[in-house]
Amino acid sequence: MNFPFLSVITFLPILGMVIVLLLNKERTKAIQTTAVVVTGLQVLLAVVIALGFNASLPGINNEATMQFTERLPWISIPQTPWFGEIRIDYFMAIDGLSMPMVVLTALISFLAVFASFSVNKSIKGYFVMFLLLDAGMMGVFCAIDMFLFYIFWEVMLLPMYFLIGIWGGPRREYAAIKFFIYTLAGSVLLLLVMIGLYFTTVDPATGAHTFNMISMMHPAENMKEGLFATLHSTPRMLAYIALFIAFAIKVPVFPFHTWLPDAHVEAPTAISVILAGVLLKMGTYGMLRISFPIFPEFAVYFQIPLMIFGFVNIVYGALCAMAQTDFKKLIAYSSISHMGYVILGMAALNVQGMTGAVMQMFNHGTITAMLFLLVGVIYDRAHTRGLNEFGGLYNKMPLYSFFTVIAFFAAIGLPGLSGFVSEAFVFLGAFQANPFWTVLSTLGIVLGAGYMLWTFQRVFMGTLPEKWEAVMSDVSPREIFTLAPLAIIILFLGVYPSPALNMMTTSLDHLVRFVKASAPAGQAFLGGF
Amino acid sequence: MIPISHYLILSAVMFTIGCAGVLTRRNAIIIFMCIELMLNSVNLTFVAFSAYLGDSAGQIIVFFVMAVAAAEAAVGLAIVLALFRNKKSVDINDVNILKW
Amino acid sequence: MPDIIFQSTKHFWPEITLALTFIAAMIFEFATKKRTTGTGILVLLGLAAALVQLPSAPSEPVSIFGGMYAIDPFSTFFKYVIIVTGMVVVLFSFQSQELKKESGHTGEYYCFIAAVTFGMVLMTGSSNLVMIYLSIELVSITSYILAGFSKSLRRSSEAALKYVIFGALSSGIMLYGMSLIFGLTGTLDLSGIRTALASGHAVTTGWSFAALMAAIVLMLAGFGYKVSVVPFHFWTPDVYEGAPITITAFLAVASKAAVFAVMIRFFYVAFFDNMLASTGVYSSFRNVDWSMILAVLSVLTMTLGNFVAIWQDNLKRMLAYSSIAHAGYMLMGVVVMSNFGLSAIMLYFVMYFFMNLGAFYVVMVIADKIGSENIDDYRGFGKRAPIISVGLSIFLISLTGLPPTAGFVGKLFLFSSVMASQFIWLAIVGVLNSVVSLYYYARVLKNMYLREAPDGDESPIVFSKVTSAVVILFIIPNILLCFFYQPVLTFAQRSIAILLPGL
Repeated sequence: MNFPFLSVITFLPILGMVIVLLLNKERTKAIQTTAVVVTGLQVLLAVVIALGFNASLPGINNEATMQFTERLPWISIPQTPWFGEIRIDYFMAIDGLSMPMVVLTALISFLAVFASFSVNKSIKGYFVMFLLLDAGMMGVFCAIDMFLFYIFWEVMLLPMYFLIGIWGGPRREYAAIKFFIYTLAGSVLLLLVMIGLYFTTVDPATGAHTFNMISMMHPAENMKEGLFATLHSTPRMLAYIALFIAFAIKVPVFPFHTWLPDAHVEAPTAISVILAGVLLKMGTYGMLRISFPIFPEFAVYFQIPLMIFGFVNIVYGALCAMAQTDFKKLIAYSSISHMGYVILGMAALNVQGMTGAVMQMFNHGTITAMLFLLVGVIYDRAHTRGLNEFGGLYNKMPLYSFFTVIAFFAAIGLPGLSGFVSEAFVFLGAFQANPFWTVLSTLGIVLGAGYMLWTFQRVFMGTLPEKWEAVMSDVSPREIFTLAPLAIIILFLGVYPSPALNMMTTSLDHLVRFVKASAPAGQAFLGGF
Repeated sequence: MIPISHYLILSAVMFTIGCAGVLTRRNAIIIFMCIELMLNSVNLTFVAFSAYLGDSAGQIIVFFVMAVAAAEAAVGLAIVLALFRNKKSVDINDVNILKW
Repeated sequence: MPDIIFQSTKHFWPEITLALTFIAAMIFEFATKKRTTGTGILVLLGLAAALVQLPSAPSEPVSIFGGMYAIDPFSTFFKYVIIVTGMVVVLFSFQSQELKKESGHTGEYYCFIAAVTFGMVLMTGSSNLVMIYLSIELVSITSYILAGFSKSLRRSSEAALKYVIFGALSSGIMLYGMSLIFGLTGTLDLSGIRTALASGHAVTTGWSFAALMAAIVLMLAGFGYKVSVVPFHFWTPDVYEGAPITITAFLAVASKAAVFAVMIRFFYVAFFDNMLASTGVYSSFRNVDWSMILAVLSVLTMTLGNFVAIWQDNLKRMLAYSSIAHAGYMLMGVVVMSNFGLSAIMLYFVMYFFMNLGAFYVVMVIADKIGSENIDDYRGFGKRAPIISVGLSIFLISLTGLPPTAGFVGKLFLFSSVMASQFIWLAIVGVLNSVVSLYYYARVLKNMYLREAPDGDESPIVFSKVTSAVVILFIIPNILLCFFYQPVLTFAQRSIAILLPGL
């Protein structure tokens, strides 16, 4: 086996965590440096992986074309007279679906470390939790074995709980436990489906049951008997719905979204960045990685409802955003709206929509991360986020305003910035699948432009209130350092999206064909809409 | 000869009375007496079945039950005594510091 | 006749060792009048002596003393859990300040621990209703004494009184069930009962069928009381709160293990119709669907345990409700009637041992330090006592069943066994319950980490090196067993062999 890139990139933060644990808590510089070095190395590794990534291999349900594969037997309990062998593999690999996410995770974590420097309460504990969270996120995107996937998925919950709960705002306790309970409720459903899939799937090579997701994607060959063996059966439908709820809570899809505004508002800046930049993507990633390929017939069957969910998210998120007076809450709701595009794109079930969806996952990660960083900048200075309390920042903070313009226009989807590319693909794909809901969804763009521009007007135009005269200084070099890379990526992908698109197209094309081929078009739920 | 059902009904009635007593009475000593009543009704059942089936096992268990009941009563009364020292009461209604 | 006794004694040495330990400890206590930990050390050595004899138990089930007692891998597994728990509890007791207040009696305390352990070990192997009754009573009566051991504390005496009343009531009820079974089948032997049920058609119809079902329910009342299954759980929170915390820990782990062992043996041996060797699935007699009763009880138990725990302010009492809920989870493994379910229960007990004893230990050392078990008094502990707090957090997360802790693997296999038997509704109720449980476990975390001490006190609370070492010693298996549970599971799978008649 070659160098275990994925294991290293996943477990590097754990190593960093151990180092931080061993350091004296007074040595804040050393702790921060460790975090910077660890996440910086992650970015380097991510770049190395991306350079070594062969974009022409599809992956998804084809084990041979997965890349950077690492597979080791982990748990192996021999057969007993009454029960089959239990085998769980340590199985990590990536393909065109997870590659952009790995890059995104590394990048956002690295930038979030810098945003974390303003944390001044128990710094050691903060970075221990931060690095644990980082490891969990990276692991989710690299794991192909479902058991491993689930462990990483759950490992993130606890650090997130503490990061919001200890370092958050005034209502942090409420926000933290709400986040914890919601996501756990989702993941126990995932657990049950996972167990059911395990007992249904047989690894052709060993004859034992397996948690290997790729084996689960071939029901005809690997699912002979068991709960989920019969295509189009009720258990499979319920499993698909359970998985949908599990992932929808994470995305979050209306009506499972109520934890998100609370968590965002209370979380410290860096954690909001991670939450919006990476965590939300896990929901949609889970749908594309697990729900769609393992239950393809219901991905097709529930295509229209999924589109409706996307539409509701887009419009509902935008309308709510419009009503907010808290800057952070506004961006939280705009996240809901933007994740709606991802849902809409993947529901299109064609390569344009799917590419748009994954592209949007990446772009939303960078854009929203930038927006939260921008909010953090003024919150650090003014200690308030009330939109109506500001005004006239344009003259006072020109560089800040420049970054804000980029982020806002990217969020609106202005051509030339990355948001436009992904939204265009999403609408292109979705229109082919169902014009009605797509046209309705474009309302989201109008609303999005509305609340973004209105916000810009309220905060940056007009006159600066007296009280901010002294405190509002322009962005510091550290802040520029966090904002500039995101701005560059947003601009770059806006004019030249091919590198990102090339990375994912083969895999997504394969995913779409495979889903459609294994679920011949038939009766669909709410097909008439 | 008296049919077995008579014994069984008698013991069932006794058992029910004992059980009801445990649940309704408020004096710890009386509760222990009710428990004795329950155990003795069980003994009656065992003996009746034993005679009916011609199997001595039922009578053997009765001896064990009697011995255990004595031990249980001894421990129970000791605990009542300990509580009485703390509390100067054997009324169950006064046992109230632990709730929900 | 003497021949049977000699043949049987050969396999009975661990139990004999325990009985001798009890007697020796009593004599030592009376002879020396030292009233120190000497008796405790003697008991510890006795338990260790019994423990080292366990590996030499026969790997095939053996019936001894004319069918009164079974030696099989199944009971041996539980004996391990019980005896090790006993030893850990003795060690904890050496450190407990609560017991030191009752100076003058600590010697007797250790004697009774030996007696309880002996009784529990007997429970695991009892294969005759007389033995079941006697061993349960041996455990019960001694635990009444232990629960009320802090005589000067009113809550301890009150707890003991409730324990003894409910206990006597439930054993009376169970005994009545036994008498009905005896009357219906003409035997007290478990395998004899099964033979009688298998051959006689009488019990599936009319009055005798009603009587049989009544007997099962009555027996369940007895077992259910001991494992605190709703609606027989009323004593649990009171006793857990009132008893010395070492005894609470003992009752929560070892007592539960012993009763699960005897309950499983009772139902699986006396009421199974057939067992398919290829799948390890048991089938019950037609009509005698005891597993459905258990399924309902299991749902009630975990739901009530979890919901009532939400309102608790005393951590010890909260752990009592959590242990009720865990009894509900474990019952799921009994319900499914398969070897897989059994091995899942056994695995769960190992995990439960580590997480629960760890949690109770932390509660004990904190109570000794600050004199309170109230959750609100844990505020600011995360900063003031980092190791202890991290330990308690990990134990509670393990109890919730989140990775990367041992509790996750325990729950995973329990739920897997339920899913494998197609009891999907039960699995769904189970997982939703663990979401509920998160709420109250997280409340402790919230107080320790998210809140400051009320008076802004940030001075560290110093615990001894031994205490920290013990906590770390419990943390390690709680994490490691999430990733390397293979040996435990293999051991549990090898231990499912119950002495079954005619197989």
